[in-house]
Amino acid sequence: MNHLLARFGTPLAGLALFLVFALASDNFFTLANQLTILRQVSFLLILAVGFTFALIAAELDLSFGSVASLAGVVTGGLVHFGYPIVPAILAGLVTATAFGLVNGLLVTVAKIPSLIATLATGSIATGLAFAATNGVAWVGRWDPSFVWLGRGRLLGLPVLIVWSLLTVALAWFVVGQTRFGVWLTATGEADEAARLAGVAVRRMKVWALTLSGLCAGVAAVLLTAALSSAAPTSADDFLMSGIAAVLLGMTMFTPGKANVPGTAVGALMITVLSNGLVLLGAPYFVQDIALGVIILLSVALSASTLKKAAFGL
Amino acid sequence: MRVVRGMVLAGAAALGLAVGAGKAMAFDLGVIAFQMSSETHARVANAVAEAAKAKGWNVTLLNSAGSMPEHAAQIENLTQAKVDALVIAMGKPIEMDAQMQAAKEAGIPIVTVMSGASPHALFDIQVNEYQVGATAALYLLGQLRYQGNILEERFEGNVGTRIRGRILDAVLAENQAVKVLGTHSMARTASWRDDVRAGMEALLLQNQGKVDGIWASFDGQAYIIDDLLSAQGATKGDPVLVSIDGGPETYRRIADPNSTLMATVAIPFEDMGEAAVDLIDRIVVQGQPVEGLVPGPYLLMDAELVDPSNVGDYLKP
Repeated sequence: MNHLLARFGTPLAGLALFLVFALASDNFFTLANQLTILRQVSFLLILAVGFTFALIAAELDLSFGSVASLAGVVTGGLVHFGYPIVPAILAGLVTATAFGLVNGLLVTVAKIPSLIATLATGSIATGLAFAATNGVAWVGRWDPSFVWLGRGRLLGLPVLIVWSLLTVALAWFVVGQTRFGVWLTATGEADEAARLAGVAVRRMKVWALTLSGLCAGVAAVLLTAALSSAAPTSADDFLMSGIAAVLLGMTMFTPGKANVPGTAVGALMITVLSNGLVLLGAPYFVQDIALGVIILLSVALSASTLKKAAFGL
Repeated sequence: MRVVRGMVLAGAAALGLAVGAGKAMAFDLGVIAFQMSSETHARVANAVAEAAKAKGWNVTLLNSAGSMPEHAAQIENLTQAKVDALVIAMGKPIEMDAQMQAAKEAGIPIVTVMSGASPHALFDIQVNEYQVGATAALYLLGQLRYQGNILEERFEGNVGTRIRGRILDAVLAENQAVKVLGTHSMARTASWRDDVRAGMEALLLQNQGKVDGIWASFDGQAYIIDDLLSAQGATKGDPVLVSIDGGPETYRRIADPNSTLMATVAIPFEDMGEAAVDLIDRIVVQGQPVEGLVPGPYLLMDAELVDPSNVGDYLKP
């Protein structure tokens, strides 16, 4: 019983939260609102999945918000100034992935702790985004085929939901069903044992941080399309909620360990909380307090893994 | 662990029921401020909330904290909440085009304040920023007798401050005895105070003893510059510091002989908030046609120059 509660207690609490909102607000449990929640969670979900890869390998990526902002500026800038869409998207993805790769090399080759390395590269990404834009967002009525990536519909569903579900499904498969996932998990859980077992531990860490960068790039392209604008700090605010989603995810399914389904449920809980509080008419500061409480509780429940990632303890 | 989860559950239930129980069957107004940490955004949003509550309306007041994705999500959430009307203070209508269109299609009337026009909003409450910009620029040049050196602290990320800057450029283009020694453009919105402090500190250091006047695109920037100048021993009028917005702290500084802030153009933010609520009442509640109340996409309000000669009128006893 205790084992079940440990694995499913947090999602049950999330379900209870969902039910409370459904009972307290007439507008919460409507199809339109549920689709709105699933659409809104997309960016957070994709970024948090990237952070999950890093944390599975026992590394932190604190640059993903800034890197996503920079990638958004690259893609948005190219679209804004009339370049073809496909190269513009690829440029954003390559930029973010390159930052992830550099993070990985800084951690494994230069031996800089990921906490510090990614803070530094995040700062560099922010600087580059401001240098490119002079702080002014590029805004416009852009090519509809690009904007469709963030605002369109596919099979009747908002297309953002499709992208985020694909990302989660792919990440879940990679971590849970492939040898790569086993190596990644082994690297994070006991790197010395993994190394002795023949796992290329350093390469796994580089991969983990590179995948985090790639996810930042994907989120950046979608965010830029959805907002039809590229600002130098457009994705920075996802850092805190992204970390919160992953930490919350670590309290469920495989408690104490970063896991993709947990991250997905964690991100969903944060978005449901934000949406539900607005529908109940709660003032803005209640949301900030609620997010803070979630982080505290989830850190309390998953402190050991976080300590290992942050400080190597 | 079980206790913690129990607490989460109980807390969520209590929070939901407490907030839900507080709502009565009245007019529901959603209010979104783009960046509540900016005084002017907060002044508009709080004035809207106060005026609405005075009418007995339910108010949901949200802060996008300067985040565009959060701003979009909040408009969407209030649309789903089926509020009866929505006021957006210092919003981003171009970026939020899809969200505002969805709100309009859901039958939610939107009034924006200092945001710029949108085809999906009833109207935008504004001051004539071109006039405001010209008033501030000409006052500064007048104080310098149309010659000397100035520094600029700009902000291009907001339509109002951007217009003010462009009007300053136009005024300077026709008065070339006034030279711009340096310009800093505030870029960050979340940590803008640090940005302004660092940028202006560098400009003052580079141009020590050569600066006759400083133009700031809004008062929040001017406070930081004033503090920097005061710490360096500058006195009122040397250099002349002029900005735009108005408010109790600005008036206090203009009246203070130890402050370098010389003048502002006072924008009636509280009046704008009250006007938003009053007009929503007339249009949405009483059913009066918008065309008869607001001529076009903008409702323009008056802004007045405040300097030491008339600041006494603005200081509350």
